[in-house]
Amino acid sequence: MTKAKFIKLIIASILAIAALFVPYEALGVDGANTLNPIEIRVIAIFVMAALFWILQPFPIWSTSVLVIVLMILTVSDSSLAMFKVEGVKAVSHKDIMGTFANPIIMLFLGGFFLAAAATKYRLDLNLARVLLKPFGKNPKLVLLGLMMITAVFSMFMSNTATAAMMLAILAPVLKLFDPDDRGKAAFALAIPLGANIGGMGTPIGTPPNAIALGALNEAGFQVSFGQWMMFGVPYVIILMAIAWVLLMKIYPIKMKEMILKIEGADKFDTSPRAIIVYVVFALCVVLWVTGKNVHGINDNAIAMIPMAVFALTGIITKKDLNEMSWDVLWLVAGGFALGVGLQKTGLAAHLIGSIPFDQWSPMVLMVGCGLICLLMANFMSHTSTASLLVPILAAVGVACADTLAPIGGVTALLVAVAFASSLGMSLPISTPPNAMAHATGYTDTAGMAKTGIIMGVVGLIIAYVMMFFLAKINFFGDETIKKPETVAAKPAVEQVVSEAPKPVPQDTVVPAPANVELPAANAEVPAPAAK
Amino acid sequence: MAKINILCVDDQPEVLETITRDLQPLENFFQIETADSVQDAKALLQELDGKSIKVGLVISDHVMPGEETGVDLLRFVDNDIRFAKTRKILLTGQAGHTDTIRAINEAHIDNYFDKPWDAAELLKAAKKLLSKYVLDSGLDYEDYMKVLDLDELLKSLKKG
Repeated sequence: MTKAKFIKLIIASILAIAALFVPYEALGVDGANTLNPIEIRVIAIFVMAALFWILQPFPIWSTSVLVIVLMILTVSDSSLAMFKVEGVKAVSHKDIMGTFANPIIMLFLGGFFLAAAATKYRLDLNLARVLLKPFGKNPKLVLLGLMMITAVFSMFMSNTATAAMMLAILAPVLKLFDPDDRGKAAFALAIPLGANIGGMGTPIGTPPNAIALGALNEAGFQVSFGQWMMFGVPYVIILMAIAWVLLMKIYPIKMKEMILKIEGADKFDTSPRAIIVYVVFALCVVLWVTGKNVHGINDNAIAMIPMAVFALTGIITKKDLNEMSWDVLWLVAGGFALGVGLQKTGLAAHLIGSIPFDQWSPMVLMVGCGLICLLMANFMSHTSTASLLVPILAAVGVACADTLAPIGGVTALLVAVAFASSLGMSLPISTPPNAMAHATGYTDTAGMAKTGIIMGVVGLIIAYVMMFFLAKINFFGDETIKKPETVAAKPAVEQVVSEAPKPVPQDTVVPAPANVELPAANAEVPAPAAK
Repeated sequence: MAKINILCVDDQPEVLETITRDLQPLENFFQIETADSVQDAKALLQELDGKSIKVGLVISDHVMPGEETGVDLLRFVDNDIRFAKTRKILLTGQAGHTDTIRAINEAHIDNYFDKPWDAAELLKAAKKLLSKYVLDSGLDYEDYMKVLDLDELLKSLKKG
């Protein structure tokens, strides 16, 4: 560990420990009631996670693992004896460990299988070749084609892998540009823009989507894969079109003709395994788009189909499996664990009981959250931004569900936060695709900042307009229906709420569904063994 | 981020000096160590490994005083599991046909430079090989972003 990282670690740790000793009562956070020690520990873990993710004394996924382990050791029913608190219900350690097997994690893992298989059988490169063809040789159109293809690939592959692939295709052509043709910067910047923006198109496109979706599911709001794509894909297309115009304005392209040659992709692989990959990929997309109401399989379960098929056919080998981005899954699981800590200790209910979020202007709340998120995402990892903000905002959102409803409700709030996390892309350090584009040497920091800021703000505005419109046509259905039935299901938290000065009945919505599911999940465990 | 070492082996001090100067642009990220004989180089490798210091690249001359040649050294590096990912360059003006064949077949060298060499070419090759080392070893590539070879980086990131 370098000296700089060590200093960061010390500072972050001191502040996190200090969070244990803040006189919360004096700050008026919880009025008459004091926070119990377990809740205070969760706050300290939150502070630690935030600082570690911002300052990065450790890789971000390591911090996620630390969050999960610390929560088990300090706030769970399996914590160290000295941390057990008399009379306070601890969080189930199974719930915390279970975040790594959350259905959304499975959805993501399924996405990894699809992406790995597509790359292995060069479906990606061949598709890129075929899809680029209609855009011809006019550099302006080629630019548009590259952006659209990058965006589409990024919806199913990781943003980083997509950007690496597209930059590798682009690199030989960039060398052919005239030294004084600034157009090459447009091409180099088009790739990270396409990769970052494209990720928003599907739930598996980028981890912030998964985190938002996980929180929505937990709170009882269902957004299906198909629904997400229905607004996500048009959104991506609109943003790409804007980005295209913007890039051409900032960097006029002088080159007259441009031919992209994609090496290693002359024709589609027609081996039986490759065909299985194409079929399974198409099948998954069809199943996701048509949805549960048609075929009965839920979105997360669909993602497990490629796992079985690819494993049995040897399309994904043990080595391929081991090489998957498990760090991303840990990162997302850490975000879920923070959510569990916030909800299951009753801390969320407690804080919402003390701070009258529901009296805030819903518009200010919605837009304010988006802006903070966008700002943070420019300086730190998109996934950690979402991991920090989504659990808090999910709790706040549920508390203000009524006032938020006219402008899109909790769904709009969390989807917008997921989008804002992905829109932070004005610096080379904002995202790995940006870093790679910067490393090509063809972009300048000012141009990246300009396009990143404009696209971030425009993207956020369009997201809000879209969410408002979707709320108007009742796209997500009536969100408030679930509230009354779930309130009764969770007496443990209700007690906390009834002691709070401003009882808000809605805030008990969140823990309930998971709680209800737990016995069911346990009951299923012996079943396979019996077969 | 611990600095990764580059080990340069040659019996002529002026050659070592030149190599060190050629590789200077890598200085912020990689530590350049020198040895003037195979024996010395082996001792240094053991010592570095004992301190868990990584050796990413060995650049060796062929004919040096002592019992073993540069190709012997590179073969030793190739066979030793501790240096499985370490990359190897043979930089020599005196390797015969048989020596060169041995260097490729037995020591599995990554690159061959004839003396006198082109400074820019050597730097480029070293950068590429060190990039492979960083990416293969699973080190955090972001720490080395400024010196990594772009093609190697893209190739590696494409997979994940």
